[in-house]
Amino acid sequence: MTVGSDVKQCFASLKGVEASLSSLALRTLDDESKRTLHEAMMVIHEVTKDLKKRVGELEGEELQYKGF
Amino acid sequence: MPEWLEVVIRSLLFVVVLFLITKWLGKKQISELTFFEYVTGISIGNIGAEVAIGLERNIFHGIIGIVIFAAIPFFAGLISLKSKRFRNFIEGKATVFIKDGKIMEDNLKKERYTTDELLDLLRRKDVFQVSDVEFAVLEATGDLSVMLKKENQPLTAKDINLKVASIKEPQTIIMDGTIMDEPLATIGRSRAWLQTELEKLGVTIENVFLGQVNSYGELTIDLFDDKLQVAPPQERPLILSTLKKCQADLELFALGTESKEAKQMYRLNSEKLQEAIDKVTPILKG
Repeated sequence: MTVGSDVKQCFASLKGVEASLSSLALRTLDDESKRTLHEAMMVIHEVTKDLKKRVGELEGEELQYKGF
Repeated sequence: MPEWLEVVIRSLLFVVVLFLITKWLGKKQISELTFFEYVTGISIGNIGAEVAIGLERNIFHGIIGIVIFAAIPFFAGLISLKSKRFRNFIEGKATVFIKDGKIMEDNLKKERYTTDELLDLLRRKDVFQVSDVEFAVLEATGDLSVMLKKENQPLTAKDINLKVASIKEPQTIIMDGTIMDEPLATIGRSRAWLQTELEKLGVTIENVFLGQVNSYGELTIDLFDDKLQVAPPQERPLILSTLKKCQADLELFALGTESKEAKQMYRLNSEKLQEAIDKVTPILKG
């Protein structure tokens, strides 16, 4: 395993969490919990954006593992 | 008409009359018996029984009596809504039995309560030691309301600065294997959604004795067949553990990378993620 694939895996997991949080926020009946979940989702979205950029950089360095 | 038949007719009639009267007077008559409601309640019952059995009595007179005995507390209730003084007069005032942790012997005497009765009332509130009580009041209904000293009060989340997620009441959507459409609509779900959720749990609707949906839209069920085990919903803890894993991964990347820029980026994001985790933990933990 290379660093690139590790980062990619983390990126994918975060994407998954983002989606789960979003669906949980939609299903939650309490407004305050709903807002907290939504805010957390936004933060995670920002993190994934940074990670995606980093994945791109890493792919430049590890050409043989390209595929993103 | 034979006498027994008349008793049957009168009894049936008075059951109906009493039912209507109590319906009219509402929940207050049965829930909190103040002195006034207690007296009228007994009188209404007595009149009903007397006229049902006593054949020499006029049915119509009985009904008049009942209606008057019911009307007075009804109108008294209406007036006491408006006037505090009238309310104090009719329903009586509460009497303080324990103040600042000390028993008010005079008030006890005034209400003719013995020490044993006071202890009895306290025990009903799960208080066995009088010194645990800060304040206690005998309500007009004859109940004792007890405020414990702060150190004896149950510990709350606020006391230990614990953050808890606010929740809404759960809805019961399956009873005895039947889908309840109204609560289902309240939470904005369809029968199709329920069908899918049940399939996920691997059970059929006929086998479900009780099904409830909590504040997070998770379905929990109890089955007729108690030998079957139903898995509790796992989605929220799973999200939390994935989040924690990702945060740890970011820390690891920050340590592993040689690029200064990337190190900075990882560190920043890991902090952001940690903050988000702290915020959602109360929600995802439960």
